[in-house]
Amino acid sequence: MGEIILTMKGIDKTFPGVHALDNVDFELCRGEVHALMGENGAGKSTLMKVLTGIYKKDKGTIIYDGKTVEFTNPREAQQAGIVIVHQELNMLGHLTVAQNIFIGREFMKGIRIDDERMNVEAARLFKRLNINIDPTEKMSNLTVGKQQMCEIAKAISHEAKIIVFDEPTAALTESEVNELFEIIRDLKKKDIGIIYITHRMDEIKLITDRVSVMRDGAYVGTLISKDSTKNDIVNMMVGRVIYEEPKTESKVAEDAPVVLKVEGLNAGKLVRDVSFELHKGEILGFSGLMGAGRTETAKAIIGADPKESGDIYVNGKKVEINTPEDAVKCGIGYLSEDRKRYGLMLQRNVAENSTITFLENFMKGIFIDNKKENNETEKYIESLAIKTPGIDQLIINLSGGNQQKVILTKWLVRNCDILIFDEPTRGIDVGAKSDIYKLMNELVKEGKSIIMISSELPEILRMSDRIIVMCEGRKSGELRIEEASQEKIMHLATLRN
Amino acid sequence: MSRQIQNIPASSNKSIVQRLGGQNVVVFLIVVALFGFFCIVSPNFRRYSTILSILDYSYYITLIAIGVTFPLITGGVDLSIGTGLICYSLIGGYLVVYQGWPVWIGMIVCVLCGAIIGFINGFLVGTMNLPPFLATLCTMMMTRGLGSICSTGLGIPWPTAGTEGGWFRTIFKLNIGDMKLPLGFLWILLLTALMSFVLNHTKVGRYIIAIGSNKEATRLSGINTKYIYIAAYVISGTFAGLASIAYSAIFASVYPGTGAGFELEGIGGAIIGGVSMTGGVGSITGTLLGVFVICILKTGLPFIGLQANWQQIITGIVLITAVLIDLSRNVKGTKSITTAFKKR
Amino acid sequence: MYRIRQSPLVKKIGFNRIVLFLVLLAMYCFFAVFAKNFVSYNRLLSAMNYAYFLGFLSLGVTFVIATGGIDFSIGPVMFCAAIMSGYLLTHYHWPLWLCLISSVVIGMLYGTLNGYLVAYKSVPSFITSMAIMQISKGVASVFTKAQSVSWPQLVQENGWYRNLIKTRVGNTYIPVGMIILLTTAIICAIVLNKTKMGRYLLSLGSNKEAVWLSGVNVKKWEMIAYIICGTLAGIAAIFFVAAYTTVQPGYGDQYNNEAIAGCVMGGTSMGGGLASIGGTFIGVMIISILQEGILAIGLNKNYQLVITGIIVIVAVYLDVISRQKRN
Repeated sequence: MGEIILTMKGIDKTFPGVHALDNVDFELCRGEVHALMGENGAGKSTLMKVLTGIYKKDKGTIIYDGKTVEFTNPREAQQAGIVIVHQELNMLGHLTVAQNIFIGREFMKGIRIDDERMNVEAARLFKRLNINIDPTEKMSNLTVGKQQMCEIAKAISHEAKIIVFDEPTAALTESEVNELFEIIRDLKKKDIGIIYITHRMDEIKLITDRVSVMRDGAYVGTLISKDSTKNDIVNMMVGRVIYEEPKTESKVAEDAPVVLKVEGLNAGKLVRDVSFELHKGEILGFSGLMGAGRTETAKAIIGADPKESGDIYVNGKKVEINTPEDAVKCGIGYLSEDRKRYGLMLQRNVAENSTITFLENFMKGIFIDNKKENNETEKYIESLAIKTPGIDQLIINLSGGNQQKVILTKWLVRNCDILIFDEPTRGIDVGAKSDIYKLMNELVKEGKSIIMISSELPEILRMSDRIIVMCEGRKSGELRIEEASQEKIMHLATLRN
Repeated sequence: MSRQIQNIPASSNKSIVQRLGGQNVVVFLIVVALFGFFCIVSPNFRRYSTILSILDYSYYITLIAIGVTFPLITGGVDLSIGTGLICYSLIGGYLVVYQGWPVWIGMIVCVLCGAIIGFINGFLVGTMNLPPFLATLCTMMMTRGLGSICSTGLGIPWPTAGTEGGWFRTIFKLNIGDMKLPLGFLWILLLTALMSFVLNHTKVGRYIIAIGSNKEATRLSGINTKYIYIAAYVISGTFAGLASIAYSAIFASVYPGTGAGFELEGIGGAIIGGVSMTGGVGSITGTLLGVFVICILKTGLPFIGLQANWQQIITGIVLITAVLIDLSRNVKGTKSITTAFKKR
Repeated sequence: MYRIRQSPLVKKIGFNRIVLFLVLLAMYCFFAVFAKNFVSYNRLLSAMNYAYFLGFLSLGVTFVIATGGIDFSIGPVMFCAAIMSGYLLTHYHWPLWLCLISSVVIGMLYGTLNGYLVAYKSVPSFITSMAIMQISKGVASVFTKAQSVSWPQLVQENGWYRNLIKTRVGNTYIPVGMIILLTTAIICAIVLNKTKMGRYLLSLGSNKEAVWLSGVNVKKWEMIAYIICGTLAGIAAIFFVAAYTTVQPGYGDQYNNEAIAGCVMGGTSMGGGLASIGGTFIGVMIISILQEGILAIGLNKNYQLVITGIIVIVAVYLDVISRQKRN
């Protein structure tokens, strides 16, 4: 590890309703791989966005290479030598590898782009990094792993001094991960500083020098990787206030009937031979890393994605679910993880969003019974404590937590007995989170059954009666809450076959 | 020590490489097959004069098709090329026929008008962020009205061959003694080669493809997308201007109120030739071939007894079929690896 | 200004609609001043001739735009319906009432084809509508062997359909057409805002995926929007021939743009999910008065084309900006 190349001190950033970064410090040395860890919503991405100029910080200083800097857009940061390799690759699929690397700064021969020279330079670059990729190949033809390597090569060609990796191994196979690590070790030798954002504990010891942990927007502390234990890190990530204590025993009766049985579900790469049962009054947690296939499983169950094979039984009876319409008729409701894209009709108001699942219930002849609609919605606004200035308020004006409650409302209006929550508290502030947990508990007490997909381990441990862990499309394990722990879940989540 | 990266399955490698080269081959075969079909079915079709006819009527469509390929590759569209080409011809023609301007200046005016409307389109789409089909729909309306206003509602007969000023017609149709040479086809080939170069080997062309592939990523790479949009639509407009010259050269007179529907043939030809509506994919040679599919159909159908009106119906059906094929192609193509990242 | 916007009366009628109405009045006054003999009942009736068929086209396309789609085929489809049913009348001597019905049915069939391709085959709506535009022009031409068709005059046998536009009572004319248009507009408004179908259409226009996941058969409802549009185009055909008698195959495009313009001007968002029948109505009036006024000043139709093009650009630009702000 060389001398310090980056110091971020006292970084503070607030969005409306959310204190995203609370006086955060971070330091990076040349030739160091410094991991940045924390739960979803801890602020890791936000911190990096502040660094690279995507967001403007409210307070704090950034000292880079000895100078105080403030970037106003990612291009400035890039030109200064700070590059992010994003999770969602920013690439031009229709162009070749070499064309992607040199986009915006092509070599010219007169007015003609010198593609040949670009290919040669790209090949040279790959040789330096010991990567074996054909520069004339079309980007969209490569596997994710190779696309990522092109992105890294692009960063190097920008003379990057700092490279930020955002969840780089999320979609890589084991051999690709090894290749990535080789490249990272090479980069270290070249004195490039690396910030490595990850959820994966097992990678910490393998490739990182130090690890910094953030929690709820605040900086918790930094450990030296080889001296730290998983427990240390987990403690820092998770140390919480009392109301989040994990469930100690299942509240489900021993003889509770099976309300949903899924057998041998196959749907694409990410749902391979998945089978499980859901009991009445149970909260079944679905845990796993990103890319594990949990959302895909849910979408295959409700008919939103086509499935290759698999049987679904609701209350013991086999059902054919090919479209979401079928699923809803069977009493299965799905709250998707991306509210804005899949859950809400943004131009419509609260009442309309609440009743879309069950309009038949609100008809007076051929007309919509607005009064009944409003009354019903009011009932739920009260019982779910939804904060809105009025029923006819456009849903886009509500906060994330309240939007989520409205989405829940529409499934309750339909009286769905089986509810699948996909990342129910993502992007929701602490207060609303606790409301949602309370609601879920009330729902199961009334006899409904819930599948909860979540990437937040404390949430899984707090709410679930049983936990199913998925890894790369397969169910890697099942735990009863009495025997579950963060370590066991993480172990199963990284258990590749 | 270089690592062995796990191999890409050979089939997917070939399918994309083959796609643009391969697609062109397929379209070429369709052209040949159609031509052969009409030759066999109708003896009258197998004449040199028929080939001349096909070529004559192909020039203006080919030119607008080549031009519109560029906005299409950015993922947009230019609907103003049809009524536009009539408008530019009317404006240029009015100056020549009723104001006595020399023909060569009239031709320049045609092209200039096209470029100006193209600039407006590019501005509306790239800077004001209007949806391309709506923006160009409006300019389509406006050029329809404009052309008529400028020609005061009259049809314009550009100078005929043989008269002073009629020389411009020989650019496309050269008569040497008894031989009638479709000179226009030569220009088309040259322009195809030129624009192919522009698309594949100049910055403008490269960035047009980039925008069509991923607008946001292109923007983040520091490229000024506003200029690129303007470039794409100016190219389209300029070629509509060139097409207006071709149209005037082939037809005796140009009438206001015509032109609606040409854009469909141009866009249809481009799509048949492999341009994807979603952007990022396209070749000029492909467009050329695609247009010929439509031209042969247009010319050939009357020979088997179908009136010219059927051509419109057929064009519509062909367009839908081409798009359906394009869609199914894309579904396969975009099952790409980047979508894996979006999964949890 | 802000306080005016927030007052309950304004909110109920809609700020956009009020502005639009003022624009309409301003335009009328402009023409009243600058054109000869503009302010007269007859002049108004003449302007309304344009408004009727355009109004039905606009009402129809409002449903399609509400679902987030677009339909460029309405003009040519209207013409095709008018031509084919007129040909049935003049050459095959079908009874008039049957011809009127067949006009509507023809429009409905095109709408069904359009809707099927968009909803079930996922073809982008502007492609299908452009293709159908071509197909309908061709069909019309083939059917009548490229001839134009003239519908009967009022005094001729079978001329009674002209009373659908206006009917003479004593010395004055009653604008029957306006009554029919208004009634249809009111029915459309009720359907869009108060029935299950309207709710589904607006919802799927706002977020098709979310509505689908909520268990609604979005394909069916999306197709129905296009069927409605086609049917209204078929009705529009009747009003067109009642006013203008002759229809030629191969034309009809320019009415597309004006119908869509009227709709978008009125506050219906091109992005889907928001629609205003009342706004569409006023938008159509603006275009009709504009059309009549420009003729009255002595300029020809082409100026109106150019001006309408500019108006649509402005209207859509405002829509784009307001959507950007909302997101």
